[in-house]
Amino acid sequence: MGTIKIYWALAMASMRARLQYKASFFVLVFAVTLFYAAQLASLFVVMSSFKQINGWHTGDMAFLFGLLTFSLGVTTLLFNGLQNFDALLINGEFDRTLVRPLNPLAQLMFSRFEASTVAHSVIGAAALYYGAKMSGIVWTPQKAASLPFVIVGGVLIQGGIRIFVNAVAFWTLRNAAIVHTVVFSGREFVVYPITIYNAGVRFFLTFVFPIAFINFYPAQFFLDKTGETLFHPALRSLTPAVGLLVITISLYAWKAGIDHYQSSGS
Amino acid sequence: MIEAVNLKKEFRVNEPGEGTFGALKALFSTRKRIIRAVDGVSFAIKRGEFVGYVGENGAGKSTTIKILTGILVPSSGSARVNGIIPYEDRRRNAANIGVVFGQRTQLWWDLPVRESFEMLKAIYRIKPDDFAHMMKKLSSVLDLGPMMIIPVRKLSLGQRMKCDLAASLLHRPGVLFLDEPTIGLDVLAKENIRTFLGEINATEGTTIILTTHDMNDIERLCGRLIMLDRGRVIYDGLTNELKQRFAREKLFEVEFRVRPPSLADVPELEVVEERGSKLSLRFRDGAGGDLAAVIGKLAAKYDVKDVSVREPSVESIVRSIYEKTLSLPPYRADG
Repeated sequence: MGTIKIYWALAMASMRARLQYKASFFVLVFAVTLFYAAQLASLFVVMSSFKQINGWHTGDMAFLFGLLTFSLGVTTLLFNGLQNFDALLINGEFDRTLVRPLNPLAQLMFSRFEASTVAHSVIGAAALYYGAKMSGIVWTPQKAASLPFVIVGGVLIQGGIRIFVNAVAFWTLRNAAIVHTVVFSGREFVVYPITIYNAGVRFFLTFVFPIAFINFYPAQFFLDKTGETLFHPALRSLTPAVGLLVITISLYAWKAGIDHYQSSGS
Repeated sequence: MIEAVNLKKEFRVNEPGEGTFGALKALFSTRKRIIRAVDGVSFAIKRGEFVGYVGENGAGKSTTIKILTGILVPSSGSARVNGIIPYEDRRRNAANIGVVFGQRTQLWWDLPVRESFEMLKAIYRIKPDDFAHMMKKLSSVLDLGPMMIIPVRKLSLGQRMKCDLAASLLHRPGVLFLDEPTIGLDVLAKENIRTFLGEINATEGTTIILTTHDMNDIERLCGRLIMLDRGRVIYDGLTNELKQRFAREKLFEVEFRVRPPSLADVPELEVVEERGSKLSLRFRDGAGGDLAAVIGKLAAKYDVKDVSVREPSVESIVRSIYEKTLSLPPYRADG
């Protein structure tokens, strides 16, 4: 219990620190909101001429986008401290986290609150709400209860990916380019249902870089896409399990990275 | 309290290429060079000691400190701080030590100083009474009052160092590691920090290890001195003993009424510097060093107006050792 209080205090401190720069905070919230709103709007524009893509209608697409963006918001809230992690390694600031009686990863996670989390969450929630409404999702108790688990699973997948790519920095030192490609460009693939891609890409996004579990597979479940099965119908309910798997693997990689750091001092 | 036994630390570094083309080539080469930063360092430090840890850049000072604080794992050998192996039990060790890296702050850059202290109170689980007590003590000695509401990024270097020192001591660590705490500070600020460190060592009984390039820090504070050269200990002993050992390095400032053409009658001394009728003299290498006898001899032979004797500073001794104009006997760690 005491430990949770400490991390809570860290998180609050990082939020107060971020709010010291009020203008930049609001500008960033505004700009990022605009960016994601524009992405959502362009989706609507595309859908207004296509009507549907592989059986996915406008509301389905908005719901897909909502799952992705809302879980990104929670991920940003929890894992933004890993942003520019390579810089901490290069200038030696990471040492500071090692001489405190706390977990280094947890210290980083709660060290930097970022405004964009607000933008992601607001746009994501709006897209989820209107997407569900437009698609006419019937919220059975099972579906309603599943939603939080799906969000948590999506957050674990995205957080795990961030931890994993940053663990690589323990060896390569500079990895901002890798992080940007994997973390931020990767998600563009799953703005659309992955059935639009060829078999290789579908396989990759399911089993290798499993970001399709953030939104595509659970959306199949919520939207009752019974007529369409990719690989196996069980995949639609596996998001929390995949999340746990990804985060477990990435924590091992992180541990190996810290061990390497302690032995190489780089 | 602190124990290092035959500590070694090797780093593998990529052979850097020369020039841009070489750097490109190095990108694809797997040639590694092994650098031994710490090469068999042993020492034992007792509770309450104030030890200066000196050496030139790259001598292995920071690497040793990083091992003792749990940041690095040694390649071989072992270390214990307060009975804990720092690199195996990093978090437990962290709770018992304070660390100040002069070049970096451990405070929250964008928050007022007070909030950083509050954060550390939470992190180290300091009881409210202890916190209030320490806070009162530290802020009266370091005069922190006026800084408390200022964001850390707006502090001067000297102010920031005071706050960093306070931050490292809030949880009353048994051991304090200081890596260049006076670097970049002006004379007055340095003096304040030194006074404070002396006081903490005396009143809290904190064991302190200080790395520094400023020998005045050592002279003022450190009863004991450990000198490193290329990863090895070359001196470990009392600071005063080092000074006595090189007492022959004492300089005589002698002012003559009539400047003698030569000092042939006092062959023990050699001239270091001349300024008119004032000569700086010192014992010639290998000469016996009886101070009183030599001064008596000088006064008997020549018309001497004034004599003063200058103690060699630790600074000049250490500099001479590294410049190889003075040599230490081979060092053996005993025990």
